[in-house]
Amino acid sequence: MNKKIVSGLAIAAAATLALGVVATSPASAAAKKTVKLAFEGPLSGAYQGLGKDQIPGVIWALDQYNRTNPAVKIELVKADSQCSGSVAANVAPGVAADKSIIGVVGTSCSGEARNSFPAFKAAGLTMVAPSASAVDLTDPKQKSNGFPYFHRVVANDSFQGPALARYTASGNTSPKYYLIDDQSPYGEPLIKNDVTPTAKKLGTIVGTDSVAQKTSDFTSVVAKVKASGANIVIYGGYDADAAPLFKALRDGGYKGILGGGDGVNTSDFPGLAGSAAEGVRLTAASVPFATLLTAAELADFTKVTGVAVPGLYAETAWTATNVFIQCIKGGALTRAAIQNCVTNGTFTAADKTTFKFQRYGDPSTAALVGGWVVKAGKIEYDKVA
Amino acid sequence: MTMEHKKTFNLRDRGAEVWAGWNRTTRSVFAVLLIGLVALLPFAGNWTPTSFLNTPITSYANVLVYPVGMFALMALGLNIVVGKSGLLDLGYVAFFAIGAYTDAILTTLFNWNTWEALPVGIGLAMVSGVVLGLPALRLRGDYLAIITLGFGEIVRIVALNLHITGGPNGIPGIPNPPKVFGLVFDLEHPQNFFWIVLTLILLVIWMVRRFTVRRPGRAWEAIRQDEDVAALMGVNTLVYKLWSFVIGAAVGGAAGVIYASKIIVISPDMFNFDVSILILACVVFGGIGNIWGVVVGASILAYLPERIRFIADARQLVFGLVLIIMMNLRPDGLLPRKKRENIAEKGGK
Amino acid sequence: MNLSVIGSQFWSLLLQGLALGLIYALISLGYTMVYGVLRLINFANSEVFMLGTFTTLYMQTKVFGFALTTPTIHGAKLIFVLISSLLASMLVCAVLAMLVEVVAYRRLRAKGASRLASLISAIGVSIVLLEAMGIVTGGRPKTAPRLLEKWSFGEIAGANFRIDTVLTIVAPVVIFIILERFVTKSRLGKSIRAVSMSEENSKLMGININKVITATFCIGGLTTGAAAFLYTTVYENTVFNVGFNIGIAAFTAAVLGGIGNLRGAFYGGIALGLVEQFASALIGSQWKSITVFLVLVIILLFKPSGLFGEAVQQTRT
Repeated sequence: MNKKIVSGLAIAAAATLALGVVATSPASAAAKKTVKLAFEGPLSGAYQGLGKDQIPGVIWALDQYNRTNPAVKIELVKADSQCSGSVAANVAPGVAADKSIIGVVGTSCSGEARNSFPAFKAAGLTMVAPSASAVDLTDPKQKSNGFPYFHRVVANDSFQGPALARYTASGNTSPKYYLIDDQSPYGEPLIKNDVTPTAKKLGTIVGTDSVAQKTSDFTSVVAKVKASGANIVIYGGYDADAAPLFKALRDGGYKGILGGGDGVNTSDFPGLAGSAAEGVRLTAASVPFATLLTAAELADFTKVTGVAVPGLYAETAWTATNVFIQCIKGGALTRAAIQNCVTNGTFTAADKTTFKFQRYGDPSTAALVGGWVVKAGKIEYDKVA
Repeated sequence: MTMEHKKTFNLRDRGAEVWAGWNRTTRSVFAVLLIGLVALLPFAGNWTPTSFLNTPITSYANVLVYPVGMFALMALGLNIVVGKSGLLDLGYVAFFAIGAYTDAILTTLFNWNTWEALPVGIGLAMVSGVVLGLPALRLRGDYLAIITLGFGEIVRIVALNLHITGGPNGIPGIPNPPKVFGLVFDLEHPQNFFWIVLTLILLVIWMVRRFTVRRPGRAWEAIRQDEDVAALMGVNTLVYKLWSFVIGAAVGGAAGVIYASKIIVISPDMFNFDVSILILACVVFGGIGNIWGVVVGASILAYLPERIRFIADARQLVFGLVLIIMMNLRPDGLLPRKKRENIAEKGGK
Repeated sequence: MNLSVIGSQFWSLLLQGLALGLIYALISLGYTMVYGVLRLINFANSEVFMLGTFTTLYMQTKVFGFALTTPTIHGAKLIFVLISSLLASMLVCAVLAMLVEVVAYRRLRAKGASRLASLISAIGVSIVLLEAMGIVTGGRPKTAPRLLEKWSFGEIAGANFRIDTVLTIVAPVVIFIILERFVTKSRLGKSIRAVSMSEENSKLMGININKVITATFCIGGLTTGAAAFLYTTVYENTVFNVGFNIGIAAFTAAVLGGIGNLRGAFYGGIALGLVEQFASALIGSQWKSITVFLVLVIILLFKPSGLFGEAVQQTRT
């Protein structure tokens, strides 16, 4: 019995050794390499909608690349940071410690970005963010900037804010603005820092309000807007909150212009707002992905990701992923090489325009903010805002 | 069958028995060994036999500081309020926030360092404990609960709206604490932060045990058992309830200061109602009133969602299930308290 | 302080505050009744509400097949759809509330566990329901179709008597009147009041405590379900974590009015709705919650048992 076991083990050991030698033989140059990209954003918690809208863009981009059977495959690591700075502060060091991750598509939220910077800066890990449009992230004068590792493919709000103020006032000889923000790290700075100065120049601000997200009843806001005599209402926030607000305003008898930023500019928005969406003016540094894809591409997107209609920032997530893909295709397989490639390279966005990254991380095409308007339930491009 | 078994075997009582049987030297050695083992926890992720402790995606050593260490510390603080004097506080995160913002403002605007900000943070938290406590403690039970909940929300909303607290973006660029005994406190050394938190935990445990055997402890116990009788017996219930509130607040404030100095950027959404509920869950889960239970319970509840990240989406759902199952199986918590604290026995430590 | 708003919009704010407050009142009935018999804050009630809104949505979109672009219907057909959705929501919430009682509370009650243990258990249920719905909906909100055209009866002094506003005022009042009659006149209602006053004595009087408690949860679920229906029909959207804010508001209303007290819940809800509206209008929506809590503190300072609360009984941990 013992002898049988021993000899059996010996054969097994020999076989394993032989196999091992073959497997690691330098002659097998056709060995596939895998590198990893991390997606850092909210995939659970109150803001999971944001991350879940973006990640299909990443997944699709990676699938389009991986299915060409390249020498270097890219694997996705999902790093759920719940749009929370405190969670991100733990996630970032963990992601940075995984040496096979050479780039981060993220973060979705500005708060996450700020808390991820220390770890990513120390590890030399490049970030390309699909959203995260807070101005301070790329501001040379701010302590909270992400230089040199943070990049984003969206125009920051210092471009979008003025564009929004201008676009909503076009055709109006005496604009009277009512500005509402959602007290989020996105909406509040957009309105207070970026829209307000331009609005003051173009007309008068007759009222402001800060309405927390997930508020259901807007009656008091409607009352204030009506009492102020405003003819333009601009909302800084997301589609999920803009929709009931705009509905309440229309139902309450407000007849003026309604405007929103890129957080509102989603494929979902007309559905959420119903008839109140009609005529709403939106600006976008990012556009609804579905407007850029052919029917065949959209079908492929749905097949790969299981999502019928691409959500908010799916397009920028796709662009951000392709920045990394392009660099990996060009042979950048280490963090240092990726950083070098990203800071110096020229890339193509989802809308086929080319761009580079500026020194502090903003995209070079930032200044062009598009103006969009909702017509018959569809968001259509109007002009440059 | 297992029910009866659990009724007769109380882990805490058994532990207390064993402890009582040891002499001073054995106790000291045991304590030192235990503390030493816990202090080594940040390195457990790298040592292969214990590497199963590693959390996917998040950094294990950082998770040990927040949420594990911080929750354990805050659970101890809340335990004084809820466990010792039986007051339901649903807004404990307010003290945490006050400590954190105090550190943030003092260090970024006035160039203090963390160690200088620490007593101020604790002091402000204590003051707010008095401000909250004076009106609230006249109320009973669940009225107190809603007021404390309101207070937690008020602190968060004020931080959200004021300019000096940075609004929704919060305050970035908070400096790390300066070196102490050659220990550098920065991103590369999360274990140093862990040891600070551990020191604070030990301090609080020591402080609570001192109080328990003295008059405050007995007063709290009396209030917890039956407030009206305690008042009849001459216990100044308001003062003692206020005391427990203020001490609990101090602990929360201290935790907040250290947290801000580690995480470098704070924002109001880090201090929402969920945190208050989580800390409360830690206290109840671990065993109300029981120091060890609370620490163990907090560690488990804080650690668990991070460890099960491989479940991705359903992580929080599993957490909820754990709460339900645990409460139904062991409603008194992991290590329930003894029905009557044995004062004479504790006098020896 | 934005006083000009008050001048032109006073009656409008009052009307809307009343409407919103009555939705709060219906939900706070759920909290207050459970508190009355069990001395427990039924944390899971907010998620019962949330599921009621999704039930209403399901009825309107899947069962009756309304989409956003479906032309609105009128008359008897509309009433049929509305009543069915209302009943479905009430039924689902009642069943769910009773399930919550069994899962979160019953075993703990039998063991004589502390109230805190029940609270944590309820929070666990709340988390499970909320997260499950989050996974199902992918975190995105869902819009309800416009069934109730915002047709107005007319305006008086700026207050627009729209049909949905009127519905949100009339329906809760009717429900409340029915409930009050039930609690004062019917046998079960009297049993509930007896148990609220003293569980011990009720047991001695031969009242089946478990049955009473189940009935209490059921009734609380019914009113919460009605509130969910109204909410979905009026605001036309819902999201997986809608329960959180509404739950806290409703619970605050219950405490404000005097918890354990039906009338207190009713008037507390109204008071809360009004304070919210006027605070938002006068000071700004960002200070709304703080104003509500400050009002609560002030009222409790003068009336520690709430507006209509009786002297607080002994509450043990």
